[in-house]
Amino acid sequence: MLNRVRLIVAVALLATIASLTVAQDDPIVVRVWTGSSSPVENEFKETQVAAFEEANPDIDIDLLISPDYGTQIRAAFASGDYPEVFTVGQFDFPTWQNDGLLALGNDNIENADDIYAGLRDAFSADGNLYCPAKDFSNLALLYNIDAFEAAGIDLPTEDWTWDDMFAAAEATTTEEMVGFSAAADKFRWMAFFYANGAELFDEDGAVAFDSDVAIESLEFYQSFVTEGFGALPGDLNAGWNGEAFGQGSAAMTIEGNWAIGYLNDTFPDLNWGVAELPIAPSGERGTLTFAECWAVSSRAEGDLADAAWRVANFFTNEEGATQVAEAGFGVMPARTSVGSLWLETIGEQYSAFVDGAEYAIAPIFPLGFADFDAAANEATQLVMTGEEDVADALEEAAEVAREIQEEME
Amino acid sequence: MAEANASRPTKANATSRQDQKQADAITGLTLVAPAVIIFVVFLIVPLIMALYFSFTNWSGTRPLDQPDAYEFVGFDNYERWVVDGRRVDDFYRAVRNTVYYVIGVVPIQTALALVLAVIVNQKWLRAKSFFRTAFYFPSITSSIVVSFIFLFMFSTGGPINAVLDAIVPNYENIAWTTNNDGIFHLLIGNFGITEDTVGLWAEAEIFDIEVWDWIAGPSVALTTIMALAVWTTTGTLMVVYLAALQGIPSSVYEAAEIDGASGFEMFRGITLPLLAPTTFFVITVGLIGTFQVFDQIYVLQNDQTARTTTSVAYLVYATAFEGTSPNLAEASAIAIVLFIIIFIATILQRTFVGGDQANT
Repeated sequence: MLNRVRLIVAVALLATIASLTVAQDDPIVVRVWTGSSSPVENEFKETQVAAFEEANPDIDIDLLISPDYGTQIRAAFASGDYPEVFTVGQFDFPTWQNDGLLALGNDNIENADDIYAGLRDAFSADGNLYCPAKDFSNLALLYNIDAFEAAGIDLPTEDWTWDDMFAAAEATTTEEMVGFSAAADKFRWMAFFYANGAELFDEDGAVAFDSDVAIESLEFYQSFVTEGFGALPGDLNAGWNGEAFGQGSAAMTIEGNWAIGYLNDTFPDLNWGVAELPIAPSGERGTLTFAECWAVSSRAEGDLADAAWRVANFFTNEEGATQVAEAGFGVMPARTSVGSLWLETIGEQYSAFVDGAEYAIAPIFPLGFADFDAAANEATQLVMTGEEDVADALEEAAEVAREIQEEME
Repeated sequence: MAEANASRPTKANATSRQDQKQADAITGLTLVAPAVIIFVVFLIVPLIMALYFSFTNWSGTRPLDQPDAYEFVGFDNYERWVVDGRRVDDFYRAVRNTVYYVIGVVPIQTALALVLAVIVNQKWLRAKSFFRTAFYFPSITSSIVVSFIFLFMFSTGGPINAVLDAIVPNYENIAWTTNNDGIFHLLIGNFGITEDTVGLWAEAEIFDIEVWDWIAGPSVALTTIMALAVWTTTGTLMVVYLAALQGIPSSVYEAAEIDGASGFEMFRGITLPLLAPTTFFVITVGLIGTFQVFDQIYVLQNDQTARTTTSVAYLVYATAFEGTSPNLAEASAIAIVLFIIIFIATILQRTFVGGDQANT
């Protein structure tokens, strides 16, 4: 009996030692999660992972491309057992950062200064950069060249102002087509909002959502519809701006670079161009940016954390950004140094999207202001469906923000 | 055998009977165990957890193994959404939309299912299986796919408007999927009744929503979604009715026929009463299903129609997963309130629609 116990102990010991020695040779496994997008983009992610594993034999990547990423990663967060590297959308960033899910980036990020300033802001909290942007999209003005020529007017130029745009909408409006497709979405008109110098909060932190410049911007956006030179995509028989524009129901619209692939695939005969959004009465331009970053889990420690950062950096450093640029699908690489390379791949005619990155703002409502966000949505919808006037709607939304501020103090 | 044991109990017999009882109990429990375990794990536990988290401020993303994962906030979430907080208008707007939806869909789909079932149950009907399949087909198709087809059919330049344009003189295209006007408002608007003419009571607010808006009726966009719901669920309910119809013995009808009852009298005097338990079931299932409407709304609503088409179930989803700060605790609170609403509605229906008959 005693012999048997000894035997078992010995075998167990040997097994432990064996597994320890094997473990040292075993590559570190880094779990990488991201959401599913187009098949081309998913394939690109797999190629990136394969390239990383070849270059780093000591690290194995366990990749999950989830079709229902938001739900799946939230469940993983709740359980406390979540991947080491994962993508974070800019609107989720404030909450996830506040929940302590993300490791501090700062010096772990390779050459962070090369990332566009707007994208660094989007993924920073309290002056610390948490994660390097993966890629991004900007809004720009899409115009139908045939419609402009039929109306006998010049195409949008460098020095186009709001008035020029409005005049063009008037000129291109016909029986079959309106000049401008204006979605009832705050993340379209707020491009004009920021261009006109409006802000959610002013320098002193006071709510400025209903400032005069803010009202002016929404009135301008709404005027296309009220004057009959524009319409909501739903009223143009379309699900969104891009569809309305593609099927020739609108001569102009505002969309991001995600529309490039869609328009060229779905409407190959459409003769269209893209320009930067026109100059506001303030004399400035503005646009909105939408980005994702590759974050590292705050729970990864030691070697695992190092490995995780190597993965995140591989996807986002200059080489990673170069790969994004060369892959040439809708999204733009997040680094200033490779913007021109992306244009070379996808076509110089889309330069307005890249140019906008200089002044683009990520329209993020701060943590705790979810009700303000909802109120801003409602204000936009009420104004665009003609149920309320601009000043009242924006004031109501701003009041919500002020109330929240009072409660926070 | 049992009597023999009872009249002359012996120790051995008692033990064996007890053993037998025990064995029966074990067999019984084993047989129902899978169903009970599934019921408890996937229904009871999540329900209790939802109730628990509705009293916290858990965001849904903060890991639960952290000591600061959440705090108890009492009834704050309920107050914020249901009593007098900042979001009561959103909640009650969703309640209003849902109630209009339920009131519109349940009676129509129940009546339609009954009529269809009676028709396809007729002996003289040819190609019965074709009709049964055709009526049942929308129910087995993915509701997302069906919703997209509806979106196309009801689009401003789509087939529905084209057909109406051909039939109705001077027809102006209706924006079926984007029009926010309540159909009751449109109806009384024809007689020149508007908010300005009815007096000040219409501007009074209940839960931050004007009385005038409460009585708007379902918007045109919501009515389109209701039509879709009726179309897809009627088939399923028809099959339920059909099964019940075939369970009614033909001798009852034959007897009635001899007594000289007409077709309609037989329907009213025999078919309807004998189908009462089925009707109770169909209405209950319909109530619960419509109160929880989600997928059709998810596909068919857009920025333009969000205010008149959002249902309570959709609001739960949006609160938990969308926007800048999703909040699972608040979503749980709304879900619990929805549960209570459905519970009350079912009890009311049981009282008024004859649940007692269903039990006999």
